[in-house]
Amino acid sequence: MNIVLASVNPLTILWAVLILGGLGLVFGVALALAEKFLHVEEDHRIDDVAKMLPNANCGACGYAGCHDLAEALVKGEAKKVSLCKVGKADKNFEPIIQYLDSHPDEDGTKHVPTL
Amino acid sequence: MSYFVSFLLAIVSAMLIDNVVLSRFYGICSFVGVSNKLKNAFSMGLAVTFVIVVAALICWPLYLLLELAGLSFLRTIVFILVIASLVQLIGFFIKKYSPSLYKALGIYLPLITTNCAVLGVVEENASQALDFGMSMANAIGTSLGFLFVIVLFSAIRIRIADTDTPKAFKGLPIALVTAALLAMAFTGLGGMVG
Repeated sequence: MNIVLASVNPLTILWAVLILGGLGLVFGVALALAEKFLHVEEDHRIDDVAKMLPNANCGACGYAGCHDLAEALVKGEAKKVSLCKVGKADKNFEPIIQYLDSHPDEDGTKHVPTL
Repeated sequence: MSYFVSFLLAIVSAMLIDNVVLSRFYGICSFVGVSNKLKNAFSMGLAVTFVIVVAALICWPLYLLLELAGLSFLRTIVFILVIASLVQLIGFFIKKYSPSLYKALGIYLPLITTNCAVLGVVEENASQALDFGMSMANAIGTSLGFLFVIVLFSAIRIRIADTDTPKAFKGLPIALVTAALLAMAFTGLGGMVG
């Protein structure tokens, strides 16, 4: 095995790591701050349901991602949990149905999806 | 020719003659996807304009830094990092101040990240070693060109939606034919700036 690695200057690697890491850090912190200032209060159930979905974010359900599907489920726009192609009935769908059954809207209406 | 005149000419040239969508074929996805309502098309154009101009502004000094460190091969990944962060930021912003627009733009908003018009502009600026002024002219011209064409196209599509289109052409097919005709019309502007 005679792979040529020696031609890469170790300093180059160091600079690459420093610059990319630095940029990532700067942008990450900036975005975290922006998120704080521009935070939008949302129905906490949306996040809870999103956590119970597989979070593959594949879009096969027809929504832009798991968070979007969770929102549609909570609002009753999506009637079936099995829109999600990745999820399993026992691991994802049944907990979501139970959760939405026990957490109705503030005025008491329930949007409980079916399997 | 003074620098200012060539700056203006570069803007016009990038905006009309080498239009991003119609002659360079960048950014077609959102061009077709969000052009069915005039207001959304305009907002999408503005969002892309913002991302392109700010990305060019940030990427120009970054590329200089990369070249100094002998790392110009890293530029694509650095540019993508900048663009993705900007799109995330504008996403937060729109979600906060206009939830209805956020809904209307839907998946196309995060997809600005992969809108090749954005990467195309910063990549061109880097590979053609444009100076700062010309980079900005390229960015401003290109993004105004995108805004102009998506609004134009959307206005045409609204009129088409009201007409009696043959069934086989309804919706996207006629939109693509329209885009082709628009592109042909824009080639008439070729050679306007030397």
